[in-house]
Amino acid sequence: MPFTLPLPAEWSDQEWKVKIFGDERNEEPHATIIRKAQRWRISLRTGEFLDRTPPSGDVPAGLVEWIWKRRRTLRNRWNEMYPENPVFSQEDRP
Amino acid sequence: MSVNLLLVTDREMEKWSEGGFPARTLRSDADLREAFHEPAQSRRPVIWIAHHASQLSPLADQVPLLRPNHRLLLLGETKGVERDLLQVIFRIVVAPGTGMHILPAEELREVLAAPHRDELFVGGVVDHANRLVVLFRGTLEPVVVTFGWFERRNPTPRPDFANFEVTDYGQTVRLGEYEATADVILYVHDTEYRRRAKERELKHDPSFGAALRRLRLLRAVRRDDFPGISEKQIARLERGESTRPHPRTLASIAERLGVDPAEIETY
Repeated sequence: MPFTLPLPAEWSDQEWKVKIFGDERNEEPHATIIRKAQRWRISLRTGEFLDRTPPSGDVPAGLVEWIWKRRRTLRNRWNEMYPENPVFSQEDRP
Repeated sequence: MSVNLLLVTDREMEKWSEGGFPARTLRSDADLREAFHEPAQSRRPVIWIAHHASQLSPLADQVPLLRPNHRLLLLGETKGVERDLLQVIFRIVVAPGTGMHILPAEELREVLAAPHRDELFVGGVVDHANRLVVLFRGTLEPVVVTFGWFERRNPTPRPDFANFEVTDYGQTVRLGEYEATADVILYVHDTEYRRRAKERELKHDPSFGAALRRLRLLRAVRRDDFPGISEKQIARLERGESTRPHPRTLASIAERLGVDPAEIETY
C-alpha cells in the first residue's frame, strides 16, 4: 500500500505531497516530495536529496525540516513496504 | 524531448493560451492549414491540442493527408468515422473514450508545458484482452507495459487493472490501490530515460556491482535466489570484492533477472 505522509495545511494547500510509492526504484531508500509535475527524492538514510534536478532549493527548507523530523515514521513505512531493502540494511554489512 | 505544440483554440482552449502556455495558437481555418503544411523541422514531433474533433475538419481535404510526425491530443470524446479520420491524419491520437483515461485538464496543461513532459504520462488505456497497459507520455509517445511487469514482485495490494488512472500530474500510475511511479516504469522500459536518470543522481555508483544490486532490488530478487550461485558470491559481486564473473555465471544472473548479460551495467 503506498504511503502518503499527511502534511499541515500550510504545505498541502500549496499542493505539496510526500509519498512512499508501492512500486518505485528502491535503491536507495527514500521518500518522494511532489508538487505538481515536479518531484524530489530525499534519502531516508541521510536526509540528502538524491538527484541534481529539479534543484533541491525549490523545496522550502521548512518543509524539508518538517519531513526529516518525521523520519522515523517514514523509515518504518519503508521497511514495511520494502523488507528486502530496509533503510539500514544488515545485508550491506561485511 | 523537444516538441512543437499547436493549440487549436475555442472558448475553452483560449484559457490555455493565457499565462504563458508554450504553444503556438491556431485561431482560424487558415492558421490550421498553414500549420499543417509547414515543412517538418527535423523530425521533431508536432503535437496538436484541440477540444473537439470538429475543430480539425479543415484538415480533412488536405493533400497529402498523413503527417508522420503529427500527433493529436483531443480533450473531448470522439468515436466512429470521426475518430477513424483523425487516425488517418495523425500518427498518434490520444482522446477520451473506449477505456482511455486522461489527466484532468488543469494537470494536463501543466504536464504539456513542462520541459520534462516526456518523463510524465498524460493518460493511458488498459488492453485486457492482451494483458497490456498502454501509457502515453507528455509527448504522446506510447509506452507499453505488460500486466506481468506490474505483477512481477507479487505486490500488496495487487494491481487492479479494472481501476486504472494516471494521477499526481502524470507521475503516478494507479491500478486500484496499487501505485507505481512513472519513474520506475520508464527506468525499466526506456534505456535513454535510464541513462538520464542515472546522470541526475548526485551519488551515482557506476560500478558493475552497484548496477547488479539496483537491478536485483528492482526485480525484488533475494541474493539467495540465484540458482547455482551462492548468496555469498552475489554479495561479493555487489560489493565489488569480486571481479567480473565468469561468462556462464553472468549469463545465469542475467537470466534470473530477465535481461541480457550486457544490459546489467545499464541499471
